[in-house]
Amino acid sequence: MQQTLKHVLTSGWTALAALSLVVGWLTGYWTLGAGIALTSLCMLGIRGARKGPTTRANLLAPFTRWLQTPSPSAGAQSVSEDEPTLEETTQQQHGDDSLAQEMIRYGRVALLLRPQIAAGLSPEELKIAQEALDDAMAIVPDGQVAMRPRCYDALDEGTADRTERLVHVEGLFLDRCAVTNRQYYDFVAGGGYEQMSLWDEAIWPAVLTFVDRTGQPGPRFWSAGRFAKGQEDHPVVGLSWYEACAYSRWVGKRLPTDAEWVKAAAWPVAVDRDRPLQRRFPWGDSMDRRLANIWGSGHDGTVPVQSFRAGASASGALQLVGNVWEWTSTSFGAWEPAARKIETDTPLKSIRGGAFDTYFEMQVHSQFQSGAQPLDRKHNIGFRCALGFCDVVNQAADGDCHASEEKHENKQTHGSQLEEATA
Amino acid sequence: MRANGMLELDSYRLAAYTVPCPCYICGGGNNYDAELCRHCHAPMALAHQAASQKLHPRMLAAIGPSGAGKTVYLGMLSDLLSRQDESLQLLARGAFSIRLQQQTMAALSQCEFPEKTPNEPDRWNWMHCQVLRKKKKAVELIMPDLAGESLLEEVDHPNTFPVIRAFLTKCAGVLVLIDAPRAEAGQSDEDFHTMKLISYLCELPAERDNSWHNHPIALVFTKADQCEHCFDDPAAFAKRHTPGLVQQCRERVKRHEYFAVGVAGAVGRRIHQHGRVHVPLRVEPRGIVEPFKWLLEELDAKASK
Repeated sequence: MQQTLKHVLTSGWTALAALSLVVGWLTGYWTLGAGIALTSLCMLGIRGARKGPTTRANLLAPFTRWLQTPSPSAGAQSVSEDEPTLEETTQQQHGDDSLAQEMIRYGRVALLLRPQIAAGLSPEELKIAQEALDDAMAIVPDGQVAMRPRCYDALDEGTADRTERLVHVEGLFLDRCAVTNRQYYDFVAGGGYEQMSLWDEAIWPAVLTFVDRTGQPGPRFWSAGRFAKGQEDHPVVGLSWYEACAYSRWVGKRLPTDAEWVKAAAWPVAVDRDRPLQRRFPWGDSMDRRLANIWGSGHDGTVPVQSFRAGASASGALQLVGNVWEWTSTSFGAWEPAARKIETDTPLKSIRGGAFDTYFEMQVHSQFQSGAQPLDRKHNIGFRCALGFCDVVNQAADGDCHASEEKHENKQTHGSQLEEATA
Repeated sequence: MRANGMLELDSYRLAAYTVPCPCYICGGGNNYDAELCRHCHAPMALAHQAASQKLHPRMLAAIGPSGAGKTVYLGMLSDLLSRQDESLQLLARGAFSIRLQQQTMAALSQCEFPEKTPNEPDRWNWMHCQVLRKKKKAVELIMPDLAGESLLEEVDHPNTFPVIRAFLTKCAGVLVLIDAPRAEAGQSDEDFHTMKLISYLCELPAERDNSWHNHPIALVFTKADQCEHCFDDPAAFAKRHTPGLVQQCRERVKRHEYFAVGVAGAVGRRIHQHGRVHVPLRVEPRGIVEPFKWLLEELDAKASK
């Protein structure tokens, strides 16, 4: 429609110029005719200039919109039958976008900042990508975190001390918010369920069963490959651990480990070498149902991921407690003492943080671990992604980062070995 | 003077002893200071409360096979309704009425299930409560936590537990709890046990208009969080996995409805001193209030007729 209008306008100005010249020549008022023709040509020139060389503005426009939107719901477009789909809309709006720009828009900025890819970006693009990363992800500094078993509060002091384990966590970025329906839609519409390289080979047979209510690929509670109207900024739920992993890969990130998640929420401070001081909740030590969406907070379901800002963690991660449980990459029960091990029919994955329907506040604090089968697609389990500091380039500390890559790899291997051992 | 006073008091007591105090459940005579009915072991506090406050509480029962989740359901229901200030509220009458809620919540908050209800009726928890509803008259209710094994024993051998028979005869409605994962796993015991219970209810002596054919029966699939599709359509789930029960209800009970409830989001097993026990991995109640609400509405509808 817009293209047709542009075409009509352009043709109109050209026709007017030609017509005014002819009429001026025929009637003898050639000066007036020439003047009108000149004005028409000027208008054409102005239109051309508007359309032309604004690459910088074009590059910044979608990103600025994304960054400056206070709450995504304000500018979010719902997906309904009579409106164009998100895919169509974004294609119209960003038809001429560069690949880099498109990746930033889809939240795949982590891929751009991979050292191999970042080398090919212009300084401006790199800066924009880094700002986008800073905006979307909170920093979790490296350090130790005390991991406690589920029954920690019920144990006597001596036993409790023995069951606590200190784990070293490398510095990482953690998504400020859980992944939303809108973000996950980009993955679904982008053919995420068909890109088998994103999925563990063992799970390929199950990928066909990851469908919505209408049999389309997507989260369990969607219909016809779309989320419900008004749910754009709600956390995506009804997806298995494998779907969360596949999305994380698609955006160039990964799921956080259990220890990383606890480090972000409990925000340990090493006042004592043997036992860091940790918060029970991201905002402090006492529960306040006004700061998180759990049972009794006044909501019967999920809320947009950017609400409950007052309950943010020290580094600015929102809703680590409440709204939805979050998948982590660690197995359930890793921190339980041998005498209190919990058996399940199939190995579970650890989920953290509690959800809108978690009844007891004792089951939503930073240290509480629950579990779900990796194929479970529950109404109250979502996820957020993580990214190691050294997985992305850092202009300021690029040299340090590369120098420490080897050390980091060693530590990471050590960390994963430790987790595997504990699991 | 003092001696005279003592004499007067003793006389009063002696006089009181001569008047039997009827049990509210079985109607059997008891001493006025008896704690439990000597016939059926129901708490005499129920009778005293009814007499002193001039109340005539209605009775609702939660029945089902052993391990179906009666204790957890009733404890959770009472806690949910006593916390919220919405359209439906529950206020306990008497300290003994809070015991079930307290025990269940204490266990669940520690990620444990409450201990199995003992078979002895004198150790059951009874709940007498007032249910407040917006724009409707408050309802007085008595809901005991019956032991599943005792229920089945009474069904198989009537009059083994007189309290069960007496209570169910007076009940205005019933919640039949069925273990959904066991039903889904094809364990026909679940179907048979529930059929027995329905059959037992229908055979209880009653007047024509007050028989169990006309009483509301909520058929509640418990632990539905372990078979999520049960939440989508409990009636369809019942048709697939408990066909005998469906047929029996269709033919013999006029007012019945299927529900799905869940309390624990996931369940594991832990080694305990008595063997392996199930433990909830978290607590997230779903669909708990709906069956109870439906029963109350059905009772209202029946009363208005």
